[in-house]
Amino acid sequence: MGHWESEAERNSQARPAQPAQEGGEPSGGKPRRETSGGRELYMNVRVLVSMMAVFVMMFTFVARIIVVSGPSMENTLWGGDLILVWGLGYTPKQGDVVVLTQESYQEDSIVKRVIATGGQRVDIDYGANAVRVDGELLEEDYIKEQMFVPGYGEGINHVTVPEGCLFVMGDNRNESADSRYPDIGIVDTRCVIGRGVAVMFPFEHWKRL
Amino acid sequence: MKDNISERTRWLVCAGAGALAAAALRRWQLASAFEPPLGLSVPGAQASVILVCVLLMAAAGLAILALSGYSRAEEEHCRWDLAFLGTGDWAYPVLEVLAAFLALAAAPPLLKMGWGQWQDYQEARARLAQGIDVQLPSNNGMLALATAAGALVCFLGLLQLGRDGLRPGKRGRGGFSAALPGVAGCVWLMESFRAHAANPVLWDYAPLLLAIVCGMLFYMDFAGISAGVCRPRRLLWMAGMTFILSAAALASAVGNGWADVLLLLSQMLGAAGVLWRLPPSLESLPRTKARPHPRTLGEESIQEETTHE
Repeated sequence: MGHWESEAERNSQARPAQPAQEGGEPSGGKPRRETSGGRELYMNVRVLVSMMAVFVMMFTFVARIIVVSGPSMENTLWGGDLILVWGLGYTPKQGDVVVLTQESYQEDSIVKRVIATGGQRVDIDYGANAVRVDGELLEEDYIKEQMFVPGYGEGINHVTVPEGCLFVMGDNRNESADSRYPDIGIVDTRCVIGRGVAVMFPFEHWKRL
Repeated sequence: MKDNISERTRWLVCAGAGALAAAALRRWQLASAFEPPLGLSVPGAQASVILVCVLLMAAAGLAILALSGYSRAEEEHCRWDLAFLGTGDWAYPVLEVLAAFLALAAAPPLLKMGWGQWQDYQEARARLAQGIDVQLPSNNGMLALATAAGALVCFLGLLQLGRDGLRPGKRGRGGFSAALPGVAGCVWLMESFRAHAANPVLWDYAPLLLAIVCGMLFYMDFAGISAGVCRPRRLLWMAGMTFILSAAALASAVGNGWADVLLLLSQMLGAAGVLWRLPPSLESLPRTKARPHPRTLGEESIQEETTHE
């Protein structure tokens, strides 16, 4: 019990009891049950409000949960998957699955894999189904199928990534709008929201990324 | 009486100065710390660093003010339920009623926005059902509509606070109705987060989110007074920080529609009401009659008020 109740008891000794007043008034004659009920209600509401504040602050500054939409990351991620995205203190590295927003393409965020970071050279050879970074062939066991030349042409396929930027591609190369696509192009690292850490839901898709 | 005035003045001056500084720095940050054309933030920009420092200093300054001004021992045996009574003091109820109507004014733009988003979403769904290839909007407008409802709840809660202040002797607890704006703040927070969830530039919306969170917690502490969970120092600190963070958020919210501006102004006035009313109450706390009280200042008027019950 809070100290209000003991005060009410003291008050009741100090002056005669009064008729019941509006809810929770601790001065004389107030039934205890109402004071206690009001306090309980307040404590529950306060916990809910505080939890909401903590969750949103955590989602803003530390980690988020994002729903994947579209087939561009198949077979690593599927449409409807919920992924945990870590943002706090993250610096993108080659091979990471990242969530980013490129407003020149669309306002919603997109999920891609980092192929090359600042200073690296990317060469894509559609004929050989090969991606080379700084001349080294990438072993890409995560891609869905063999690459074909996209409908918009070869796009950006031989480029040195400027410092502070990233070259990203979807794992489903034939159905992915990514850095090859001129509207997206090379992405500034500041556009990255965070790194995909794990698929959280559905449970049968659970895995670390 | 001089002490009372100086304590109130100290809080109002500190919060006001902090708010002015935060708003000015936010404007400077908006002008200098973002790169065109995408508006990505410049790492280590002077304005951003100074803004963070000023906010931290304001938080520390208000904490010192709250801790140094009052003795914890004196909080025992005090009639916290009467902390917001002030016979003849019109400023507090007027501020709360103004805050209520500002919250009410935020409802129509939110309704309009939410309804528009809802219609766009339904239209896109209908086209998809017809086999037309369109992208389904990620926002169906429900959160904006819920925020409009929250603004109405906020209005009712703040109006009740104002009414309580206008009828001294009837209630005067600060009121559990203060929890309503706190709860409504949850929906506003979700809507604001959703609107910026895909924005990688934290500085675009972090001040707004911090202001909303601070406002929610401030209102919950305010409501705590009526539920016997009295944290007067934290309430004052929260009110001060709500005032300052809301001013910083307001400086950047002006271009983003009226709803946020009105809701931020509303919680600023709500906080100003507490900063106006609570420091004098803390200086001459109503005390339980069963205990001896060291101060006589204000006691006569308090007894006079309690007899109205």
